[in-house]
This record gives sequence, C-alpha cells and structure tokens, in this order.
Amino acid sequence: MLGGAALIFALVMTLLVLPFLRRGRAGSDGSRVRIWIVGLGLVFPMVVLAALLAYGLVVGERLLPREADDVVRVGAEGRLSAWTFSYEDAPGRATEGVLHIPARRPVDVSITTADVIHSFWVPRLAGKLDAIPGYVNVLRIEADAPGTYEGVSAEFSGPGYDSFTFAVTAHDADGWEAFLRGETQ
Amino acid sequence: MRDIIRILISPLVWLAAFSAVYGLHGLICGHGIDGEAFGLPLPRLLLVAAYAAAILVQLPILWALYSPRFASPSPFVRFVSRATGWVGLVATVWSLLPVVMTSYCG
Amino acid sequence: MNALQRHRRLTEIWASDPGFRGWFSTVNHTDLGRMFLATAFFFFIVGGILSMLIRAQLATPHSAFAGPEIYNQIFTMHGTIMMFLFAIPTFEGLAIYLLPKILGTRDLAFPRLTAYGFWCYVFGGTMLLVSMLLGIAPDGGWFMYPPLSGPLFSPGINTDFWLIGITFVEISAIAAAVELTVSILKYRAPGMSLDKMPIFAWYALVTALMILTGFPPLILGSVLLELERAFGLPFFQVDLGGDSLLWQHLFWLFGHPEVYIIFLPAAGVISTVLPVMCRTTLLGYGWIVAAAVALAFLSFGLWVHHMFTTGIPHMGLAFFSAASTLVAVPTGVQIFAWIGTMWKGRPELHLPMLHILGFFFTFVIGGLTGVMVAVVPFDWQAHDTAFITAHLHYVLFGGFVFPIFAGIYYWLPHFTGRKRFFRLGELAFGLIFAGFHVTFLAMHWVGLLGQRRRIPTYAPEDGWTTINLISSVGSFVLTIGIAVLLIDVILHVLTAVRGRRNPWNAGTLEWAMMTPAPAYNFASLPHVTSREPVAEDPELCVALARGQGYLGEPRHGWRETLTVDIASGTPDYHVIYPANTRLPILMSAVTGVFFLSLLLKFYWTIPVAMIGVAILAWRWVWGLGLKEDIPPQGIGRGQEVPHAASVARSPGWWGTTFLLTANATFFGSLLFGFAFLWTVAPGWPPPEWLAPSALELGIGLAGIVAAPIAARLARRSQAPLPFLAIAGAGILAIGAVCAALMLRTPDPTGHAYGATLLVLGGYGLFHAALAALMVAFLAARVRRGFVSPLRRAELPIVGLWIDYLATIALLILLAGHLPGLLS
Repeated sequence: MLGGAALIFALVMTLLVLPFLRRGRAGSDGSRVRIWIVGLGLVFPMVVLAALLAYGLVVGERLLPREADDVVRVGAEGRLSAWTFSYEDAPGRATEGVLHIPARRPVDVSITTADVIHSFWVPRLAGKLDAIPGYVNVLRIEADAPGTYEGVSAEFSGPGYDSFTFAVTAHDADGWEAFLRGETQ
Repeated sequence: MRDIIRILISPLVWLAAFSAVYGLHGLICGHGIDGEAFGLPLPRLLLVAAYAAAILVQLPILWALYSPRFASPSPFVRFVSRATGWVGLVATVWSLLPVVMTSYCG
Repeated sequence: MNALQRHRRLTEIWASDPGFRGWFSTVNHTDLGRMFLATAFFFFIVGGILSMLIRAQLATPHSAFAGPEIYNQIFTMHGTIMMFLFAIPTFEGLAIYLLPKILGTRDLAFPRLTAYGFWCYVFGGTMLLVSMLLGIAPDGGWFMYPPLSGPLFSPGINTDFWLIGITFVEISAIAAAVELTVSILKYRAPGMSLDKMPIFAWYALVTALMILTGFPPLILGSVLLELERAFGLPFFQVDLGGDSLLWQHLFWLFGHPEVYIIFLPAAGVISTVLPVMCRTTLLGYGWIVAAAVALAFLSFGLWVHHMFTTGIPHMGLAFFSAASTLVAVPTGVQIFAWIGTMWKGRPELHLPMLHILGFFFTFVIGGLTGVMVAVVPFDWQAHDTAFITAHLHYVLFGGFVFPIFAGIYYWLPHFTGRKRFFRLGELAFGLIFAGFHVTFLAMHWVGLLGQRRRIPTYAPEDGWTTINLISSVGSFVLTIGIAVLLIDVILHVLTAVRGRRNPWNAGTLEWAMMTPAPAYNFASLPHVTSREPVAEDPELCVALARGQGYLGEPRHGWRETLTVDIASGTPDYHVIYPANTRLPILMSAVTGVFFLSLLLKFYWTIPVAMIGVAILAWRWVWGLGLKEDIPPQGIGRGQEVPHAASVARSPGWWGTTFLLTANATFFGSLLFGFAFLWTVAPGWPPPEWLAPSALELGIGLAGIVAAPIAARLARRSQAPLPFLAIAGAGILAIGAVCAALMLRTPDPTGHAYGATLLVLGGYGLFHAALAALMVAFLAARVRRGFVSPLRRAELPIVGLWIDYLATIALLILLAGHLPGLLS
C-alpha cells in the first residue's frame, strides 16, 4: 500500500513539474479533457480504488471472529483507570491490568466498559476495538508465541489517559492450564 | 430552481438509498432478524432486494436526464446534470456493493 | 453626471459611518468580509499558539510543561478554534468579501444578516476565549464524546462552554450559508446564467448548501447533550435508555461533511487563481462543477468511517469504506483538471502559485494516506494514533491553509490597492513548507510506531523521543514562517505603493472596479456575456464607472441592486437594501445574553432574552415595510422590472426556503435520533409509552389542516384579516397539543424516550409560537396599511413557516401517539 501510494505521488509530482519545463503545446480542450479528466481523473482512480476496496473487504472479512472449536473466551471491562479481565474457563477468576491468554489459540475478547468509552488495543495482536457503555464488542486476537504483549487504552478518557495501559501474557499450553487452576498470579 | 433540482436529484436519491440500506442493515442486525426464503438467508435476501431497488430507482432518473422531455434547455446544465446522474448510479452500485460481498452481522 | 460625481453620490449613499463607530453599524459586505477575515486570523494565531504549546509539551518525554488537565484543555481548544473559529469563518469572510464583486453586484442578499452573523461569531468566540483565560476551557477533546463529556464525568462548566459557545458561533455559519446561497442564486450581474458563473461561486454555493445540511446535526447533538447536562434528560446515558453512540453519529454526520466544507472553498480559490497564474482558462469547467456537487453528496455518506472501531458489523463498515474510497474519485477529477490546466497554459511562478504547488504536494499525500485509512483493517491499527493527526493536518493544512494563503496573496492587491514592496513572502513560504513537512512526516512515523493521539506525555522507553523532538523543531520553523507571512501582509497594508488595477490580468469581475473597493462596488452593473468579462473587455471598469451599465443613476438615496432569474440570469426584480444600523449587533448581544444565561444557569433571564430577541426581530422586519406601492423601476438599458416587495418569490422567500432546509435537517436528525434510540439503544423499550389521546390528535389535526388553508386564502383575499385569525387559531391549537405532549410525556429524566418526546413537543411548541408571532405581525401590517396587491411579499413567507409548522406537527403527533396506540 505504501509503495503504491509513493508511486502515485511521484506520478502526480512529475506531471506537476513538467509544464514548467516544456511550455505551450497545441491541442484542443476536447482531447485534454479526455486525457486529464476522463483518463487520469476518473478511470485511473476508480481502477486503483476498486482493487484496494476489494482487498480491504476480503482482509476485513478474514479478521472476523469465526466459529472454531478451540476458541478461548475472555472478558475485558474498562474503567477509569484499569482493565479488569474475566475468564469463561475459570468462572469467578478476575485479573486486573494483565490479561492471560493461551498462545497459538484464537481468543475472543468480549470488551465493555463500566464508565466512559475506552478502546482495547494490543498493537502486536490485533487492531483496536472500542468499549462502549451498554455494548459488548468481540475482538478476535491470537498470539503466535508465549510472552508479554503491551496493550493500551486507545480512546481519550480524560486525565490519566497516557498511563492507562495493560499487558497481555500469552502462556504455553501448560502455563495456561496452570493459570486456569489458579496457580499463577 | 428546476435546473438546480436536475443537478441534485440523482445524488440525493443515492444518499436516501444509502441511508435506507444502512438503516435496514442496522435493523436486521439489531433485532436479530433471521430465517430463510427461496433457499437463501432472509437478511441477505432483503438487503439484496433493497440494493436492486436502489439501482432501479437511479436508472429512470438517468434516462429522464437524457430524454428531451425532461432535460434542461441549457446545454451546460444538461451536461452537469447527466454527470451527477452518473455519479448517483455509480455511487449506488459501488457503495452498496458490500451487500453481496461481506457477511451481514459479524 | 461624470464618473467622479457618480462616485461621490454613490459613496454618500453606500458608505458606512465614519471612524471605528462605523464598525458597529456597518452592513456593508466589504467591511464585514474584512472584519470576518481579520477576526478569523486572530483566532488562527490563538490556535497556532496552542499548537506550539502542544509541541512544546511533546518535545521531550516525561514533560512537566503542562499537567494533563491543562494539556487536555490545550488540545481541545486547538482543534475547536481551528475548525470552528478559523476555518469556517475564513471561508465565510472570503465569500462575503468576494462574492458580490465576482458576481457583479453591489452587496449580498441580506446585509443586516451578514452583520448579525459576524457579531454572533465574535461574541461566541469571545466566550470560548474567556473560558480559556480563566482556565476552565473545554477539555473533552474537540469531538466531546459522552459519557466522558456527560454530567457524571465532566461536572464542571468546561464542557458547557463548548456546547453553548459553539452553538452560538454556529448561528453565524447558518446565517452566512443562507445568505450566500440566496446571493449566488439570485444576486448576479444581468446576463450571468449558471454556465457563466465564476467557478468560485459554484464552490461557494455547494459549500453553503453543505453548511445548511451539515451543521444542524451538530447543533442538535449539542442541544441534546446540554439538556442532559443541565436538566438530566438522559439522551446519552445507556442505563436510562440513551446511547453514547447517538452522539457519535450526530457528531460525525456533521464532522465529515465539515472536512469538505473546509476543502471546497479552498478548491474554489485554486480553480480561480491557478488558471490566471497559467495565463489560460480552467480546463473542464462543467466537469469541475459536477465533481464539486458529487463530492458534497458523497461526503455525507462517510461519517461512519470515524467510527470503524466502535464494533459496528462488518457490512456496515464496508458500506462506509466503499463510500470513502469513492470520494477520492471527484477529488481526483479536480486535481487532474488543475494539472491539465497547467499543461494547457504557461505556468508562472508567482507567490500565489508557490502556495498552490505547496497545496498539491501536501494534499496529494494527505489524500493517499486518507485512502489508506479508508481501508478498514488498516484503520483498526492507525485509528486514534498520531498517524491520523498527521493525516488530517496534511488534508486540512494542505487542502485549506495553502490555498487560502495563495488566495490572500492573489487578492491582497484587491484588498489594499497596493503592490508588494518587501519580498518576505517567498521566505515565508519556504519556512512554512519545510516546517510543515518536518513536523507532520515525523508524526506519521511516530503514529505507526504506536504513539496515541492526545496523550500528554510518554516515557523514554517508548522510543519516540527523537522523532517527537524533530517534529517539535519543525513546528517552530512552521510558526516562524507564518509569523513572517503575517508581517509581510501587514507591511503590505502599511506601505504606500499604489499598484495598478488588475495586476494579474485576471478575467473575473472583481477586477473591474477601483481598488480598494468602493462601498458600492460597481457604479453601474455590467451585462455579462462570458465567463471572463474583464478578459473580454479590458475597459469594462471605465465603462461601468461612467454609468454605462444597469442602475447607473443614483436616485432617492436608495441602495439599489437587481436580482436575476436563477437559470438564465435575466434581470427579474429591483431591490432596495436597508441602510446602516446597530440593530444586528444589538440583536446578537441579546442572543448572547440568552446563551450566557444558559451557560451560567441564570434561568430567569432566558425568557427575558427570548422576548428581547423577538422584539428586535419584529423591529428588524418592520423597518423593511413600505406604506406606498413602488411601481416597476427602470434599470437602464431600456429595461423595467418590478420591485421585490411586490412579488411572490421575493429574496426573503428564498432565504426562508433555505433556512427551513437547515431547520428540516435539524428536525430530521431529531427523528433519526428517536429511531436510532428505539432500534439500537440497549435500554429499550421504555417502561411505559405515552398514553395516546384521541382528543389531542383531533385538535392537532384540525389545526394542521386549518392553518395552511387559511394562510393560502389570506394570500388571495383582498381582506386577509379574518383568514389570518383562523390561521392563528389553528396555530394555537397545534401549540396546545405540543404543550400537552410535553406535559404528559412519561418521566423525561427517567428514560430517553420521555426526554425525546419532551424535545419533540418543545420543538413543535417553539415553532407554533414563532408562527403565531408572524401571523400577529402580518395582522399588524395589514391594519397599518403596509400590505397591498403590490406589497404582498410577506404573506408567502409566513405561509412557508405555517406549512412547515403543519408538516412537523403532523410528524410530532404521529411520533408521540402512534407507539402507544400500537403497543
């Protein structure tokens, strides 16, 4: 996407500089309209944008949470200024500031809020999704390897917004079992 | 005023249709409308029908903008109104295309 | 009468009062345009200083320059000032100054409204400035999302300043939009048919129509949020049947068109200036008009792309993603039409052209990153990071500030009648261009590294320190550049080097007058036969000064002009403008008392202010009246046209039509809000519906039917008073059932349903009161002998309001009583 954008930008800039160098060409307005407006202004963007749109829709579709057998379901509730996480596989278990997930398994995070709008964002795992009062939004994340992933709240929520962060700890299979049994903090 | 309406009508109808289909989609997902008809899921069928209707409304408008009976006496307004007529049609086809491409509530 | 005598006579008639006291009573568009622009640039400087504070804060990690409370106020006010107090008023000022000149007429349609709008802008802007000086400025972000901006999480007065101040300023935007629309459609030089209109006028027309339909959703949102904050009506509280997403919809329903409301006038400047700089004419005039119209419409189908991360189903997002990519097409048409224009002509590198090149370079990058964020998965990552901040500055600075600078340097000789002496402008451009790109390229980068928008500080471990420092250094270079530019402009105004008229050899009519422009613009109005009248006849200015056009003979001390048929441009009516008056500033001051009372919760002064506005409005309209018929007037060139007071579709009728368009958008947004809450908000259905009442429905329907019919009969009748009485009775019936709806609505503070009905009823009651006042006014006019078969323009105007009242009353009654009937 970046390369394509750079290419288009270079093209436009070249077309912009050339008339300063070569001056006064003959030609009718009719043919100019066909070249500049119909060709470059209408057809060219429509072809590029159609391709881009199709790509975006297909990728977006792939990112949607699909039904699968091994999906782990967790909950995330934002409140000024901490996230509380709950676990379907360990009812009653709640953690604050750290979300535990198994690595290499799809995880559906049900996101909501207790006060104002927040946004759940772990840049290395997925895009962001808002926590909106009265709604539960589901985000599919998946960690490729065990480890700790930084997460932030990405919707402005007043003073304290800059330090409103959390972490995601991805466990291997054993570690996840241990967590569910309540052996890890 | 008639000339201004000739220029604005197609995109205006697009805007109405676009909002209507978005509203319909919100209604379907918000109220969990489900079911099947003619072997297709009902929500998809409803949305595609609305899509087709939106396109079908644009066509006669475009036709009218080309017909000598309804077109503007001014060549300039004729040109601009036909151009915006095409904008209405293309925008309808383009912006509502997800109706046939993506999953509806997810 | 020779040209000099004519000039003296016309100046006597048209001039504003001398000295600074003239500022308060002027209704002249040249004066008010200059005042608008000067005020807008004052706010530009304020907003710029705020941006410097932001960059100073972010230059280093763990900065202790400003605490988060102050920092939140700074960035909120930066966005608010730049959007509402700089960008929109700059367009208004430029259009107010330029349009009558470029269209070949003497003033805008409603000169006193221009002044009223200006003073509302000044007073509303002052309210926001005061809040900043007191340290209680809005701090919830310029987008003011509830619940953060709601009564629970922002109990202070800060948010109220935003909601009330901005709504006050919005009045000026709506006033200007109504006025510009009517002026462009009706107030043009004879012969200027739609296809001969200068391209800037097309852009201004499209922009004005967008303001009329784009701003009402925001005004509605502000009203609802203020009602929630002040009186506990829970429109945005989810546990009481409200929904915070409703605000986001209303806000972005305004917010996205806003971007194009800002861009389109700038594109109009480019389309005007660029061909002159290239010694040629614009390529594809018709294409550009169509592209501007297309852009305007498509921009209303994009608002949800600001809400891609709110969890809307994928198909919903996909609609808006598709529309967002499509909007790039008409933009592309314009860009390539401009480049084609450059290829067609011989571009010369004057100072305005430099800024236009700056526009191309910057705006194309902004457009390309815009297409990127239109792709949903990319936006899920980039949303609310510094990448978006950088993108929007590329679009707005590139798409608005550079073109406006080009326009300033292009029209500066026209503003002052002087030529540039000191050549600081080139240096200023270099600094601005370099500073801007260093600042915001760096910001793209740090955004992709994950820096969020609106954070007051960050840690050294984040690894953003160097980039932020570079960005801050760039921003100071940018600021120095803008300071140099302002110094250059001020020096230009002060140095006395007379320039020649029309220094650029442009073809549009604003150059067919002496500069600086005289109060009356044209000593006589031209007859236009081409898109570039001055290019066709370089001596046009002299001919007009000699009175060889229309209305060349000053008479009766009248400020006269003509209106034309919208499509063909043939003269249709003769218009006499009102003279200088302090009524507009007085009325906006009283309007200000109304808003101030709301802000400070002095509720007992609110009715006083409302009555004050009503009295002043009465005087305002009353002053236009004539006790005697004005027969059709000769306008020169052997033509005669009727006076505007004698026709059914007077300028006031057109103004009312467009004001009601904005009003209908407001009402439509309210109905949308009702439907949205009903179908989407989690806390529905409400605990109880309003009990439907056959009696109320009956009385209401009787009023709805009777009032418009009686108004129509009054228009035709020689003795309208009895019919006016019937119309008045119908209006009172409508008012009564609306009041009943307000009284009977189930607990408005307990559920958003009751709150919505309360607002619907209040809206109906307000319009009934307005219509009743108008009917009373008409009756007074008839009794005092102001109405005759040749003076009947006021009847159709009131008729429009009554028709509107009947329509909304019907919808309000249905919305109020039907749900109870059905359940």
